[in-house]
Amino acid sequence: MGLLDATHAALRLLLSGDAELWTIVGVSLSVTLRAMLIAVPVGIGCGYLLATLRFPGRRALIVLIQGLLASPTVVVGLLLYLLLSRQGVFGQLHLLFTQTAMVIGQVLIALPVLIAFSLAAIQGADPRARETAVALGASASRIGWTMLVEVRFALMAAVCNAFGRVVSEIGCALMVGGNIAGVTRNIPTAIALETSKGDFAQGIALGIVLLVVALGVNSAFAFFQGESRR
Amino acid sequence: MSLLAVATLDKSFGERRLLSIDALCLSAGEHYVLTGENGSGKSTLLRILAGIEAADGGVGHFGERRFDWWPYPNWLRQEVIYVHQQPYLFHTSVAENIAYGLRARGVEASQRERLVAAAIAWARLGHLRQTPPQKLSGGERQRVALARAWVLAPKVLLLDEPTANLDAESRQQTIDLVRAFCGPGRTAVIACHDRDMIALANMRRLHLVDGQIRQNSAPAL
Repeated sequence: MGLLDATHAALRLLLSGDAELWTIVGVSLSVTLRAMLIAVPVGIGCGYLLATLRFPGRRALIVLIQGLLASPTVVVGLLLYLLLSRQGVFGQLHLLFTQTAMVIGQVLIALPVLIAFSLAAIQGADPRARETAVALGASASRIGWTMLVEVRFALMAAVCNAFGRVVSEIGCALMVGGNIAGVTRNIPTAIALETSKGDFAQGIALGIVLLVVALGVNSAFAFFQGESRR
Repeated sequence: MSLLAVATLDKSFGERRLLSIDALCLSAGEHYVLTGENGSGKSTLLRILAGIEAADGGVGHFGERRFDWWPYPNWLRQEVIYVHQQPYLFHTSVAENIAYGLRARGVEASQRERLVAAAIAWARLGHLRQTPPQKLSGGERQRVALARAWVLAPKVLLLDEPTANLDAESRQQTIDLVRAFCGPGRTAVIACHDRDMIALANMRRLHLVDGQIRQNSAPAL
């Protein structure tokens, strides 16, 4: 099947409402959204604390987090697999090959991105912002919230980046999810599987969905950023 | 009567001792102009008095209450307000900026709206009420910052070069607002070199030289 024919078939699949295909899309979005709901507040909170607190080992911790930005997702998957497998520390929880395991993996992948970008955003903020909040008598929590609002576009960029990384990652999802149809098969693992079987139509259809999702998230970010500058 | 007093205050940057003050008394209702060479530590002194920069050590008094300059006591932040030379305005609106300190103090919404409206009228910012701060001129930003401080009715007002880098019209508007702000019962310290500001009625002179304050009891001019 040529690329053109495969693309036609992919579009027909998408428009026909193919149940299997949309189940895969649903798993992907559900897992990624749950992971982001956990990772975003934790990552931004840790980034803020790292930017504002001074404690022994802080510098080493920042270097470690920045190093984890480049960690291969398959290594995260391997470590999580070892922890969740029957002989692992958390083996009794029976989480391996479940969506929960995939969510945990995506949280671990998203966190370094969110922490490192939030840290950079807050450290790069105008120091007068914090001083003004302090001088006006704001509490520590209000100062923190004010700073996050002041750097909100940099934080949104961090969230977009983390989302893009986790929604398209395959290594960890494959290892701890197991690519079980209707349960843990998400877009990247399905694309890899269908392509290896020679079913390019479904692979292309899922690829289109992934691209649309990624473009949609980034377009929304660009829209809000543009609105604020008008 | 002394309102805010420095018994001792030290501040160094590396090997360089910037401030070593052993006596400074700001009386209730008095207004002071703080002068000194560039780099003499005027801004640093104001920032320490406002609690946004750490002192190396020292003790102060607010009325009868004794406190250390660092960590700065939270209760004193309710009484002392500092305005930057180039004020920072939050990326909200003019009205929200003015309301910020009131929110921080837990002022109830209806009273907050009333106070913000009064501050906007006081600083003649009515036409800019919902304007994003990034669209304001330097003079307008300074007026918003003064309104944001005025609405909190601080006992001590600390202004850092409020007329620096302003055009003639904005500078005059700022001086008029500062004069109105420095009414009876409010203590103010204004770091500046502006002759017109120094010439404001009943302004007393604090001169910072070699890290120490020379305080004149007589009006500056």
